Amino acid sequence: MRADEDALRGLMIGGLDGDAAAHAALLRLLVPLLRGFYRRRASGSDDDIEDLVQETLIAVHTRRATYDRERAFTAWLFAIARYKMVDHFRRVRRLHPIDGLEELLVADDFEPAASARLDVEDLLAALPSKQARMIRATRLHGLSIAEAAEADGIGESDVKVSVHRGLKALVARIQGGVR
Amino acid sequence: MNTDDLISQLSQDVPPVSRGAVGWRLAIGIGLGALVSMLAVVLALGIRPDLGLAMRGPTFWMKWGYTASIALAALVMTTQLARPDSNRLRWSWILAVPVLLLTGLGVAELARTPPGKWLAMWLGHSWLVCPWLVLALAMPIFVGLLWSFRRLAPTRLRAAGAAAGLAAGAFAATVYCLHCPEVSAIFVLTWYSLGILLAASLGALLGPRLLRW
Repeated sequence: MRADEDALRGLMIGGLDGDAAAHAALLRLLVPLLRGFYRRRASGSDDDIEDLVQETLIAVHTRRATYDRERAFTAWLFAIARYKMVDHFRRVRRLHPIDGLEELLVADDFEPAASARLDVEDLLAALPSKQARMIRATRLHGLSIAEAAEADGIGESDVKVSVHRGLKALVARIQGGVR
Repeated sequence: MNTDDLISQLSQDVPPVSRGAVGWRLAIGIGLGALVSMLAVVLALGIRPDLGLAMRGPTFWMKWGYTASIALAALVMTTQLARPDSNRLRWSWILAVPVLLLTGLGVAELARTPPGKWLAMWLGHSWLVCPWLVLALAMPIFVGLLWSFRRLAPTRLRAAGAAAGLAAGAFAATVYCLHCPEVSAIFVLTWYSLGILLAASLGALLGPRLLRW
């Protein structure tokens, strides 16, 4: 099974309804996603990365009640993954962020203010769903092109084209609104 | 431990989760805490003797309406901040509604009262203790919320701590209404709000330390 948003969300909801097999399948699908996510962002030994992956799996399991079924699963997952990473950097000094940690922390506070002003979700709602999904994945959730392609089960060039067209449409829309 | 083993171990314990689980968890924490605060009011401070009479008049409901609506607004914020993907807070502006309404009432009250009595009205009989009592009564509720958060997943710890403190303070003030005999709107607006803000500040201060997971 491919690990795209709909499949993951379906498994998550299955798990929330008490289906242990769906939950196990979900956790197994998350392993490569999380490994990729952390390898891209933290330099450290494989063991350290694996610790982080396991910690995140445990968090996904013990805090699963905080997932809102109406919202995107990957947004929830990567919010946890990002939190665990920052927490890990603070606690264990063996892993080091690739980008500056300061930047990461500042961005955390800056993000809500910026997104509240722009109301990104409303803008994205006007785009075709694939373009919106790809922009969300690569620009909002911080996935790489390869991760986004993997998560949605489409080609990398498809992701790039979708993001490009979507952003172009958004720019046109915003400028149209200003004029 | 091997990741595969971890997954099979985790998957052995998959109880169903209801949709309102986050709200319930918070409600139980607040409810248990509020019960302790209520006991403290009954045993240590004493219920105001004219409570039955006061409940027939408008000022009691003015106070209760103010604190209870702030409590609900704070609960809405806390519920959002208890989830990891809480980048954008919705509905936080409703906090301003009770404050503005009570300010309106306060201004009307000042207009009705001769300026010579303003100070006495503003300070009441208990301005020195009111904020501290609200803060003290907020503690059990805050502890209850900390318990709730042990299964939740806040990622903005300072904001989540502040929202939890705000909720604890506002629920504490709601309980404190059972004791406090003050009647003026500007009294409530100043000293109740100060107590609630103290609780929120304490929450913001402690959040990053106590809410980590």
